Amino acid sequence: MLGVLGAALALLLTACGGAADSVRAHGPVHITFWSALRGSQQVVDEFNRTHSDVKVDFEQIPSGASGGYTKLSNAARAGNAPDVATIEYPELPGYVIDGVARDLDPLIPAGTKEKFQPAALDLTSFGGHTYSLPLDIEPMVFYYRKDLFAKYHLTVPTTWAGFRATAEQLRKAAPKARLASFFPNQMGEIAGLSWQAGAQWFGTAHDTWQLSMDDAPTRRVAGYWQRLLDRDLVRVEGQSSQQWTAGIQSGDTVGYIDGAWAAGALMKSDPPGKGRWAVAPLPQWDPAHPADGTEGGSTFTVTKDSRHPRQAMEFILWQTTDPDALKARLSSGTSSAFPAVPALVPVAQHAMDDSYFGGQDIYAQFQRSAATVRPQWMWGPRMLATLSQVQTGLARAAAGSGTIESALRAGQAATLPDLTSVGLSVDSH
Amino acid sequence: MSTAVSSDAAAARPPDRTGTAAAGAHGGRRSRRARTTRRQQRTAAALLIGPFGILMALVFLVPLVYAIVLSLFTVDHHGLGFGNGHTVFTGLRSYAAVLTDPTFASGFGVIGLFLVIEVPVLVIVSLGLALLLDSGMVRLRRTAQLFLFLPHAVPGIIAALIWFYLYTPGVSPVVRALSGTGLSVDFLGIHLVLPSLVNVVLWNGLGYNMVIFYAALQAIPREVIEASVLDGASAWRTALRVKIPMVRATVVLVVMFAVIAALQLYTEPTLFNQTDALVSSRYTPNMYIYDAAFDRQNYGLSSAAAVILLVVSCVLSYAVTRWSNRGEDRK
Repeated sequence: MLGVLGAALALLLTACGGAADSVRAHGPVHITFWSALRGSQQVVDEFNRTHSDVKVDFEQIPSGASGGYTKLSNAARAGNAPDVATIEYPELPGYVIDGVARDLDPLIPAGTKEKFQPAALDLTSFGGHTYSLPLDIEPMVFYYRKDLFAKYHLTVPTTWAGFRATAEQLRKAAPKARLASFFPNQMGEIAGLSWQAGAQWFGTAHDTWQLSMDDAPTRRVAGYWQRLLDRDLVRVEGQSSQQWTAGIQSGDTVGYIDGAWAAGALMKSDPPGKGRWAVAPLPQWDPAHPADGTEGGSTFTVTKDSRHPRQAMEFILWQTTDPDALKARLSSGTSSAFPAVPALVPVAQHAMDDSYFGGQDIYAQFQRSAATVRPQWMWGPRMLATLSQVQTGLARAAAGSGTIESALRAGQAATLPDLTSVGLSVDSH
Repeated sequence: MSTAVSSDAAAARPPDRTGTAAAGAHGGRRSRRARTTRRQQRTAAALLIGPFGILMALVFLVPLVYAIVLSLFTVDHHGLGFGNGHTVFTGLRSYAAVLTDPTFASGFGVIGLFLVIEVPVLVIVSLGLALLLDSGMVRLRRTAQLFLFLPHAVPGIIAALIWFYLYTPGVSPVVRALSGTGLSVDFLGIHLVLPSLVNVVLWNGLGYNMVIFYAALQAIPREVIEASVLDGASAWRTALRVKIPMVRATVVLVVMFAVIAALQLYTEPTLFNQTDALVSSRYTPNMYIYDAAFDRQNYGLSSAAAVILLVVSCVLSYAVTRWSNRGEDRK
């Protein structure tokens, strides 16, 4: 059995090496682009329509760990990764370390970086080099049902203490209703909430990875949510699960916390909720110094294998900074991604039909939240694996075995061997 | 390997003498005939074992050596690791990493728990079914045997899919029926997920093991059973005191197979992992190996874990064999 596994490994390695690159000698330069982002086809079509020197061959790949990322890593190992790939923020450091993402500094034209929101660009730069360009940055906000808040005489909480008090108040007023959901399957949520509180799970000091998923701000956040779980003040369910959608639609769940992009998803999950929902800033630990974390967001990189890095960069720049690209992306349907290029925010704002949120200018809120995203956050070298281990721990905690804090500690313990086995110097505390 | 042996045999025998030897089979001297026969036997043995040898080398030894080599090399980095990786010999570093990884150890914990639940049920139920068939108390013995064996013909992944459907709240008719009677059972919840997995594996394996036990029971000399019946032993007593002790070796075999199969557990939990976060992507050692290779892109770590798993399997098999042999000696 073990032999079979080894043989499969060997076969896979050789099979991947066989595919040939198709580059034409004449005509426009063709570059390949892999993405799991919705709306990419529209973006590519628009690019190909308006550009004659470069043509993009697009391939939609599955999102997440089991699909796209594995495919990308294997292709890179075999030397035939696409010219341009979409990588979410948490996965980027791993691809930089594995040598899949290219150092883009020689390719980025002068004056371009200034167009991007610094907090977003921070997340794509390591050791003074930029390895990808961000499409969007997704500050966390609180989505809530305006009509139900009025019905139960609740005020929108501005602090986390107020959030808990509101949750208690709601449960008293309507025993079946809950203020929010805790998503054990949404690996980024607890990260974003810790981020907001000032945690720093990964850092780099003295040329060493600093690993600490159990620092004081994280413990504070984990303990806070643990109490909410223990006292049954929030619903525990998978994000976008049937139960969650049912609760949202029936009004049993009157709010939830998520990134800016989730507004678009909400319009799809709860069409009859039109006019009832509103967006509020994330509750604060210290209202005098508002802070935010993010949840979600994607970036584009040129891979090491690319034979046309200049053209690949041209496509990335167009995709991330050109209003036409954003319009094409938004034409695919309801999207509320918050652009990492501030100049594009009015474009997105204009494309958004604000009637769903009763005329509220939700982009103005996103903009305020994005401005307070805490800098200095960094994702780790094997984030997908780390978060998947945390997620298992969270599922156990949700089932009453273990705590959120122990889930995070387990995630850290399960990450250490990954890092030390490839020779990274790690300081774990 | 086999070709080498057979050509050696051919080379050792000059062509002209082969002709004589063939003629000698009719009227030659006795000793030469015996020698020729031995040679022919050796050639035949080499020819028969050859294909197995080649296959064994190709699908087991070569990948094993390859896995060991892979486990000793890693893409090595220094410091923060941004853009400085090279594949180099790193010795036992991957082994050290695997052995200090709590998720790898917990995989063996899962296997251990799995075995504690599975083995007794497997042995008792499949042996019980085999005894029933053997006792002739079951009508339409062949049909019954076929139906009991049938689940084994269903591929593991299909079985897991079907069961997963039956476990999933909201779609499962079983869960709905149970909740109709006031029982709310979460088959995929924290307490039942492992028993649910055991159930899938058992459903697949009971018939197969029943056939093994049945074959062993059929091999018991009928006189022995007749003797016990003549002595006035009931069917129950005959089964307990005569039949079961005589198939003891088969029980050991089945237990050993179960242990090895459990160590290889992969298909069923992998399917569960798709939607049940309680079953992590490193739930069993085999899943750990896959996760290390394809989710963490660390072939060194993956190979080291594979080699460790092989060693554990060998040690466990050896231990079970030794344990059973000691029992035989005592007897």
